[in-house]
Amino acid sequence: MVSCFEKKQYSERGNCDCFHFGVFMDSRIGHAAYEPAIYSIHSISDLTPHEKLFRIEIPDAVDFRHEPGQFVQLSVWGWGEAPISISNSPTRKGYLEFAIRHAGSLTGALHQMRPGSKIGLRGPFGNGFDVNRLRSQNLLLIAGGCGLAPLRSLIQYCEDCRDEFMDIRILYGAKTPHDLLYKSDLAAWMESETFDCRIIVDFVAPNHGYSGKIGLLPELIPPLEVEAENTTAVLVGPPMMYPFVVEALRKKGLDDERIMVSLERHMKCGIGKCGHCAIDHFSCCIDGPVFLLRDLQGTEWAG
Amino acid sequence: MKTITCDQFHHFLYSIREDFEIVGPVILHDGTLSLGRLTAEPLALFAGRIPFRFTSLFFPHSERLFAMSDEYRFDKSGSSAKPLLVVGWRAEDLEALEFIDEFFRTGFRDDVFCDRRQSSVVIGVSGRCGVNGEFCRISEGKCDMELIYDGKHFIMAEYTENGRFLSEKIVWGEETDSLEALLQESRALRTPEREILQTASQLLMRNQVDDDFWAEIADRCIQCTSCTNVCPTCTCFDVYDMRLKRKIERYRMWDSCQMSGFMREASGHNPLASQSDRTRRRIRHKLVDDLHRWGRMTCFLCGRCDDVCPTGIGMKAVAAEIVERFG
Repeated sequence: MVSCFEKKQYSERGNCDCFHFGVFMDSRIGHAAYEPAIYSIHSISDLTPHEKLFRIEIPDAVDFRHEPGQFVQLSVWGWGEAPISISNSPTRKGYLEFAIRHAGSLTGALHQMRPGSKIGLRGPFGNGFDVNRLRSQNLLLIAGGCGLAPLRSLIQYCEDCRDEFMDIRILYGAKTPHDLLYKSDLAAWMESETFDCRIIVDFVAPNHGYSGKIGLLPELIPPLEVEAENTTAVLVGPPMMYPFVVEALRKKGLDDERIMVSLERHMKCGIGKCGHCAIDHFSCCIDGPVFLLRDLQGTEWAG
Repeated sequence: MKTITCDQFHHFLYSIREDFEIVGPVILHDGTLSLGRLTAEPLALFAGRIPFRFTSLFFPHSERLFAMSDEYRFDKSGSSAKPLLVVGWRAEDLEALEFIDEFFRTGFRDDVFCDRRQSSVVIGVSGRCGVNGEFCRISEGKCDMELIYDGKHFIMAEYTENGRFLSEKIVWGEETDSLEALLQESRALRTPEREILQTASQLLMRNQVDDDFWAEIADRCIQCTSCTNVCPTCTCFDVYDMRLKRKIERYRMWDSCQMSGFMREASGHNPLASQSDRTRRRIRHKLVDDLHRWGRMTCFLCGRCDDVCPTGIGMKAVAAEIVERFG
């Protein structure tokens, strides 16, 4: 059997981008394989009761280039390292934004930090959303919960390069109105003529005053008119969301070549060595986190 | 090719002790066969297979990735350790080493592994060097030098510049050309276990092994993680920080896919939530996934997991059961 390094079978543009380390080394920060570069947190703002937005300024002298959907390994000294999605588009240069939920000890320590605190960054890593495949397409950009964090980088990219795409629809679902990330961005996208942005929440506390749609994210799909032959869907969200959204998209005629998913795994190294993000023969950190659904056929990706 | 006696070889090792850190099989005072430094006692080159990973010399159980001061400066003080010279690799161990060399070098270069590996010298041992003189397969490469035992002498086969460099330093020994008969004997060794492994791999690839089978094997697993701890091709690790006075040190430590929290994320999502999933992964990873990714199965039948598993579900045992039930 020929090794898939030789076949480059994962995606058409070749996930093997990441196997030519030398070529991309220039645009990565961090030294050696495991030493991060040190940055100060520029600002911190609350997104929800559980999520904060951290902003890091990247000096002009640093040639940092990323694709929408890529991630970095973020170090909190004494607490280790965690994979965090980059939340801003590469078209918005000079800074990086990360929307981070307080979910464990490392993110808990991060939430205690103040502007000026030092963190470590390595990256960017992984394959982002394949913008070449999305160009000249109608887009269905679908996020659940924290999935809006990586998807926002693509939404901003679409906003900044609007002419490259046809109709763009954003579907976003969260548990409650409190849990909606990027509320001001969402309000702007809903007002904007650039996007058709629809929001849904699972439930609303009595007397909350929320007047939007209540239900589950897949419910937003059936009412849409979708031209399957020139539409591509991009999905980012919790694992339990995928089977239902994929089923709804298939009913709209989208095949597995037209569905792109970004998968959540806990990468410990980001460079395909530690084994924690393995999905059968894929390493999510170097072959993903964004995959074309076609490439995941026969694997345990939805586990 | 030169021949050399075991005593002469040890004389040679003692003569280069200043230049190399020499490691190989040793017998501890309680009779345990282990890996250790060369001491006044000769290495135990005929005492059988060491029960744990030979590859741990280059990918140790725990190692520092970096240290950083509280002023955010990396501690660049390099180790001045002598290069490692490791004697006693069997053919299966060398195949495992060849794989993890490729694994850590391909794509993103793992400089922590590669730096340690780069300066090392690896010497294999084969031929009639089994515990009772049984024949051990000749590797015919994959190391700097191989010592092939013909029952009386080691015949030295050098495969790299490092090997030739060492060989030139050996002043004893006679030239011989008697390797051909040993090579033929080695190549004629039957490998029924490899055939079983290949059949099991094909059955797994064709999805002919059902979920009930994995549930049954998983029921027998006590999650001791011995199998992954001794496996020479297991490379999974976890990363953690140590907070010390005025500095932090980041380490990596072997991790095991057989532990319930191996893939668990902070959100609670766990792609390997059940022991059945984890057992399936342990076997499939070596027999199917690595075949897809690396072009070869990554179980080289060293048999350590079978030896160490308290409930009899090592790789060879599970592969045999797969073939028996689904073949």
